[in-house]
Amino acid sequence: MRPTSLRRRLTWWYVGLLAAIMVVFVSGTAIVMYWQLYAQLDRHAVQDLETVEGLLSFTPSGVVNVAEDYHTHPESRLVQERYLQVLAPDGRVLYRNDRLGARTLGGDLTSHEGINGYSDRSDRLSDGTGVLLVSRRHEMAGRPIILRVGYATRPLWVHVGEWIGAAFLMVPIVLALAALAGYRLGQRALQPITDIADRAERITADRLHDRLPIPDSDAELAHLARVFNGLLARLEGSFDQLRRFTSDASHELRTPLASIRSVGEVSLEKEQTPAQYRNVIGSMLEEVNRLTSLVEALLAVARGDSNRLELNRRAIPVSELVREATSLLEVLAEEKSQQLVVYADDSATVVGDRVLLRQALVNLIHNAIRYSPESSTIQVRATAQPSGAIMLRVADNGPGIPSEHRDRVFDRFYRVEEARSREGGGAGLGLSIAKWAAEAHGGTLALAGNSEHGAVFEMQLPSA
Amino acid sequence: MAARAVRTYTHVVRILVVEDEPKLAAAIRDGLETQRYEVVLAHSGEEGFYAATVEQFELLIFDVMLPNRDGVEIVSSLRRRGVGTPVLLLTAKDAIDDRVRGLDAGADDYLVKPFAFPELLARIRALTRRGKTDGELSLAIADLQMDLRRRAVTRAARPIELTAREFELLEYLLRNHGCVVSREMLARDVWNIQTSTALDNVIDVQIGRLRRKIDDLHEQKLLHTVRGVGFVLRGDVS
Repeated sequence: MRPTSLRRRLTWWYVGLLAAIMVVFVSGTAIVMYWQLYAQLDRHAVQDLETVEGLLSFTPSGVVNVAEDYHTHPESRLVQERYLQVLAPDGRVLYRNDRLGARTLGGDLTSHEGINGYSDRSDRLSDGTGVLLVSRRHEMAGRPIILRVGYATRPLWVHVGEWIGAAFLMVPIVLALAALAGYRLGQRALQPITDIADRAERITADRLHDRLPIPDSDAELAHLARVFNGLLARLEGSFDQLRRFTSDASHELRTPLASIRSVGEVSLEKEQTPAQYRNVIGSMLEEVNRLTSLVEALLAVARGDSNRLELNRRAIPVSELVREATSLLEVLAEEKSQQLVVYADDSATVVGDRVLLRQALVNLIHNAIRYSPESSTIQVRATAQPSGAIMLRVADNGPGIPSEHRDRVFDRFYRVEEARSREGGGAGLGLSIAKWAAEAHGGTLALAGNSEHGAVFEMQLPSA
Repeated sequence: MAARAVRTYTHVVRILVVEDEPKLAAAIRDGLETQRYEVVLAHSGEEGFYAATVEQFELLIFDVMLPNRDGVEIVSSLRRRGVGTPVLLLTAKDAIDDRVRGLDAGADDYLVKPFAFPELLARIRALTRRGKTDGELSLAIADLQMDLRRRAVTRAARPIELTAREFELLEYLLRNHGCVVSREMLARDVWNIQTSTALDNVIDVQIGRLRRKIDDLHEQKLLHTVRGVGFVLRGDVS
């Protein structure tokens, strides 16, 4: 099914609703009009009745007579047919006016008809003509008589009908105008969406820095545009990260490959002794090992990214974690005459994956050892916070991290000092892996302190 | 070198290697033949399956990703046929479910490519030696002696002080003397953790310290570094 245009649908809805409203309006006014006219007719009838009372007389022969010349000029155009009937209390018809002729107005007398003021009701003549009927009891020459005045209601209907006819004649014109206006209005209201769509269409992976226009007239559309812009910003961020990662990764992979290639090519240039060849092959194998561990680290990172790595969660005393990490690395500190000052809260326990957490801690301490000068002190503290969270803190006496690198130290392959750290053998993944491990456990890793006297890394893990 | 336990085979160990990558297959064959194993090569799953069912081998080495027929499937059909020969799987996949799948099918061990050759040799030694216990009380190479009960080490009858880690490292090297051990093997068997950059540095430092203690005062060097491969404890003069 082809999606219909939102604008067209809006217009249809608009016109449809307007038509419905108009129908309701016209019928409503028709009803009100009818009742008003009816009330008006009723008042005429009452006035007439009073007038007629004054015009009644008995002829000497005892027949009721009405001086009807008054009635020849009715003041309302609603009153086209007027019927008059006079009855005796026993129901005998004393008088019928000419227009009524042989027809009866109002049928038999009801018991209380006309006793208290004016009784009015709708009725039909014997030939079916609809009438509004008002009756009143009257004393004339000491004899009670009942007067009935009736008006045909047909003019009323005709009047209302004319109004309805006229109104409905206007409806198509009004609706056509409304449709046109609605269509235009829809176009104007949807213009920002069209703009946004046009702009969004032009945004590709290479142009993610572009943003959508934020219409200042509509809060809703501005919100939509802002949401999209936020999405674009996040996309741009991860694209940039990915692009950096890809270029860094290929750089890291190319470097050992280039070494292998040139070492091999150069060694084939001239005849060499077996010992020299062995040396060349060994050098190539070293690069292969570097490539292997790099690929393994990349795979681990990729698995972590896709959340395919399942954490083997156990309760681990933090002191054990710290002891394992420091006992592994203490020889490295010894080699540099560095002092590892370790404090671990014996009661603190963390729930997590032992291998992963130890790896994270090892990476932090290893970094500290690597970047701290000889004979300096490295502090490792593991404490339970008042909140119950576990804080692992590694503080070194190294040169600190230059402020321009602060934001990127946790990025993959990022090294503060390219040449020097390569010598140390790192691929620049240590901190990013540690951060990832902390986050996989619902914790954080942050550079908490940083000066030319050293850097402090704090890993916070949620309480057990 | 009186106390040296010379590795002598009463018979030649035959190994079937099923690997479709010719370069790797040839390298494995050459490497194993250097170690005095007899190697039969098969380049496809069908060929390997046929060889494994009609000939006698002490060990079968299967690549998991073989054209047409995958190694795991071959292993399970071999097991169904009652072939109980130990199987070592080689694969480039290291996802855990693949490993489980391989072991479930009846494979005995699993090695992820790219592997270090010493590692392959160690696995082969373990699989072909399976069931034989080595309950030695002392280990020795040249004039280096290790008393496992008293945890004492001497070289040329002079005692050497070792830390616990250095002792374990030396014991492992002694047990594998004459064979190169890779960093991965040391990380797994001596340190009991996965290899990492930090551990590589630690291993280098520990090897250096051990070398200073056992070799520095002696003409004959026992602990050698095989560049790019690993370390070996060798008592003979090469």
